[in-house]
Amino acid sequence: MLTEAPQAPARRERKTATRVLVEHHEVLRGLMRQLRETPRSQPGRRRALADELFDELWMHERIEESVFYPAMRDITPAIAAAWSEHRQLSDQLAALVRADPRTERFDRELGVMHDALESHAHLDEERQMFPEIERFADEELLVDLGDRLQARLEWLRSSRRIRAVLRLQRALLRRTAR
Amino acid sequence: MGLGSDMAQRALDRLLNAIEGDDRLDRAGHRLEQGLAFTENLLGITGGRTRGFLHGVWLGHPLHPVFTDLPIGSWTTALVLDLAGQKRAARAAVGVGLAGALAAAVTGLHDWQHTHDHARRVGMVHGTLNTLALGLYGWSWVQRGRGHHLRGRLAALLGYPVIMVSGFLGGTLVYRHRIGVDQTGRQLEPRHFVRVMAEHDLTDKSPRRARAGDVDVVLVRADGRIHALENTCPHLRGPLSEGWLRDGALTCPWHGSRFELSSGESLNGPAAAPVPCFQTRVRDGWIEVRRAPAAATAPPGSALVHQQEVQP
Repeated sequence: MLTEAPQAPARRERKTATRVLVEHHEVLRGLMRQLRETPRSQPGRRRALADELFDELWMHERIEESVFYPAMRDITPAIAAAWSEHRQLSDQLAALVRADPRTERFDRELGVMHDALESHAHLDEERQMFPEIERFADEELLVDLGDRLQARLEWLRSSRRIRAVLRLQRALLRRTAR
Repeated sequence: MGLGSDMAQRALDRLLNAIEGDDRLDRAGHRLEQGLAFTENLLGITGGRTRGFLHGVWLGHPLHPVFTDLPIGSWTTALVLDLAGQKRAARAAVGVGLAGALAAAVTGLHDWQHTHDHARRVGMVHGTLNTLALGLYGWSWVQRGRGHHLRGRLAALLGYPVIMVSGFLGGTLVYRHRIGVDQTGRQLEPRHFVRVMAEHDLTDKSPRRARAGDVDVVLVRADGRIHALENTCPHLRGPLSEGWLRDGALTCPWHGSRFELSSGESLNGPAAAPVPCFQTRVRDGWIEVRRAPAAATAPPGSALVHQQEVQP
């Protein structure tokens, strides 16, 4: 692991769902920053970081989709669009891992990844959807959802089966790249 | 007549409401979409030319309805040929329908994956019924080939009402949910240049949203020019000002349709129609825009063309 994924503490701090998600956005942003700072001369490190971004973003999408979005359906109308943005991020992730980290194409895909991620995380969620949710949703519900999001994220990170599936996905995507 | 159509109307309404309100379809829908996404990424469709081709970008509207006529028409023909006792011709008609149905399935799934909420649920049922009909007609084709014409006819007879209901749902997706329909405003306003933003507020590479009269526009400064497009994706009304710029194209943040800045043309879909463009100029430090005259869309000599004539 190149970044510190927060290890499961004995007793987790209770946070609202929106805070859990914003903090995870920061983890993703940190990975993006490291990727952009790693030069083409270090393809191995670039590849490892891209792998980690692939896994973390995949997990981020899954916890939002399985826990957060279904619970927020009646609170904000922005859920369907957010779901579509996940699809875009998945597509861009695939393009990124398929690109050779020694090439300019990788830099280009990384640039698009950055724009797509900021459009979703910042412009849509952090600036519009989350404030709306914090205004209209019950505080207790949000803390409750926060617990579930954290638990789900920890479970995904520690699941061997999930890790194997993600490894297989990345390998298939790279193998079929042209 | 009146009573019958009333009952039909009520029954169809109930059917639609039941489908649109059923959130149990969402989980399966998202699973299916994830599978589709992975497959398209593996095949390199997402970032390639095939993506736009399947969405019908080259056609200016979705490609899917072009293919749906094939199974409906051919299988209707097969029904008639069965009644007339034309065994070989009936089997050929079923076969042509099968080929069309497969093409419709590919293009339909490709469009469906970029829909939302109610339309998504209706699309799921539409696709499931079509798959059932495809199975029945496929079996019918095989049985006819083996000389079991009675079985073949029976399967076709069962499949026909299925595609009728499914065709109704497909129509719903277009006429009720406006899937595949150009969703931009297409107004003729503003006809004269109006101020929308101070020039120094528009920086390079960052799209900005502004109001031009009643129209929401997105302003983009790129390659030393200022471009103005309607701030609405023709696909599902995504806010283009929240998208991103790359290689002279603006990407919709919702489903990734890319639009050429200079013409508004879609480059990849799911949007098949172009985004309306505006003319821009800078006067006294202000960016001004007006609707680009699109004389070709109005009949010659009409008031609309006349009123839109370019004035300095």
